[in-house]
Amino acid sequence: MIAERTAGFARQQHRFFVFCVAPALAVLAIVTLLPSLYLLVTSFTPLSLTRPETLWDFSQPLENYRQLQADERLHNSVWVQVKLSFWTVLLQLLIGLGLALLLNVKSRLLEALRTVFLIPMVLPPIVVAIIWKVIYTPDISPMHGIFKAIGWNVPSLITDPDWALTAIIIADTWEWFPFTMLMVLAALQMLPQELLDAAKVDGASPWQVTRHVTLPFIQGVLLVAGLFRLIDSIKAFPLIYILTDGGPGSLTEVTNYYSFLQAFNFSYLGFSSAITVALLAATLLLSWLIVRVVGWGVRVD
Amino acid sequence: MTALAVVLAVLALSPFLWLLLMSFKTNAEIFRFPPRLLFDATLANYAALWTSEFRNSFANSLVVSTASTALSLLVGVPAAYALSRWTRRGSGAITLWILASRMAPPIAFTIPYFLVYRHLELLDTLTGLAIIYLTTNLSLVIWMMRPFYDQLPRSLEEAAWIDGATMWQGFTRIILPLSGPGLAATAILCFLFAWNDFFFALILTRTEAMTAPVAVVNFMNYEGWEWGRIAAGGTMIMLPVLVFSFIVRRYLVSGLTGGAIKG
Repeated sequence: MIAERTAGFARQQHRFFVFCVAPALAVLAIVTLLPSLYLLVTSFTPLSLTRPETLWDFSQPLENYRQLQADERLHNSVWVQVKLSFWTVLLQLLIGLGLALLLNVKSRLLEALRTVFLIPMVLPPIVVAIIWKVIYTPDISPMHGIFKAIGWNVPSLITDPDWALTAIIIADTWEWFPFTMLMVLAALQMLPQELLDAAKVDGASPWQVTRHVTLPFIQGVLLVAGLFRLIDSIKAFPLIYILTDGGPGSLTEVTNYYSFLQAFNFSYLGFSSAITVALLAATLLLSWLIVRVVGWGVRVD
Repeated sequence: MTALAVVLAVLALSPFLWLLLMSFKTNAEIFRFPPRLLFDATLANYAALWTSEFRNSFANSLVVSTASTALSLLVGVPAAYALSRWTRRGSGAITLWILASRMAPPIAFTIPYFLVYRHLELLDTLTGLAIIYLTTNLSLVIWMMRPFYDQLPRSLEEAAWIDGATMWQGFTRIILPLSGPGLAATAILCFLFAWNDFFFALILTRTEAMTAPVAVVNFMNYEGWEWGRIAAGGTMIMLPVLVFSFIVRRYLVSGLTGGAIKG
């Protein structure tokens, strides 16, 4: 009798959970899985909006992927992406880490400053892009004003071939250094005080404490922060769109941006889909890496 | 040390403050260097925005962000609750799926959505935008709320069941009222994601459903360089963001990492 009721209850509970989860999974499948599949399908066609008959043309399904290997401009975009990702992630980790260590002191003022430092990260990306457009436009830029006042004749960084990518790197680093800072600060709060005390009792200098106690403790967080920034750097868009439009030439054209141009400026949606499938595969691989590193999704009860 | 931190903070924020000041300057003042510390502040830029198309775009942003947030919460919160209480079977695969939709480059969704919306006549509509924002917001809700429910003891709803409440009542009458803080933070993060979006709106809207971030950029491209209006528009877009972010600053890390890290 009791067993029967328990079984009935378990069944009821099971039904309820299915009822709760099913709509979410269904919606998620419709809004994410189906489009991804459709993207894959499109990547096998020479789809161009100017020629509607190309929509279901599967006569040469792998043609786009063959072109991927031959397209110099695409290879250039990958190289630009590598440079952008490397420098932004590196600089953000260093600056974020430095600031976190500087601000990790119990003081009212410094705690308020932490919030202030978060502002670049929470600003809408488009506003960040506008801010840097102003800084990089000589007529109205305070930076160029100062350069001129001390007699330097500096060209506009975003139109200068030697500086355009650096200009983007600076802006992106400014936008996202708070992310590393915030993650490191959160980790530092969990650093056991006894460890620090023990090191001090043993006569370690502040530098030694940082080097041998603090840094080893937060290296995991740094790795995760770096991976997250790496994945996000692949999506860089508003800064490039507003500041350089991929130029001069294609010096700041990252793969994501090149794919955007192919799809929505040149209307080669099929080819663009193939590029995007490759991008998507790269981000999935990196996500999987994150799951492995954080052990994420494995719950500790 | 403190002095250094203050100097760095001022330095780091100066580009942002410059834009803020610019929004209150006349065009002549904007081109003046060195800038006058005390200039005659004007609200003309804001007034110009308020009488232009920008007002509609601003309203569009509000509507679409609110709608997407409400939809994500409605579908996502019960799922988060059930996933928290259920066995772990299959949760690994669902995890990777949800993380992947957070990580995927927006263009991966934009191309298929663009093609399908052309046929469904959803291009340049607020409905179309609200749907594509679900790609990120729904996963965000599940990943913000699930750990939150993990922390609520099961004995809460079990007591209600023993008293004869149905499963559904246990959820709506016991669990939901306790979810206030988590729900508020999640709702704000969803709202901000939709509000901040530029890429989806750039491609999926033209005129009718144009959102504020896209409208501001149009001041750059088509209507000449009206820096005062650009600055004022940018300020209007970032103002709600700054207020909201300040409220949820404790949840920012877990929101940005899709729940991978608890800050």
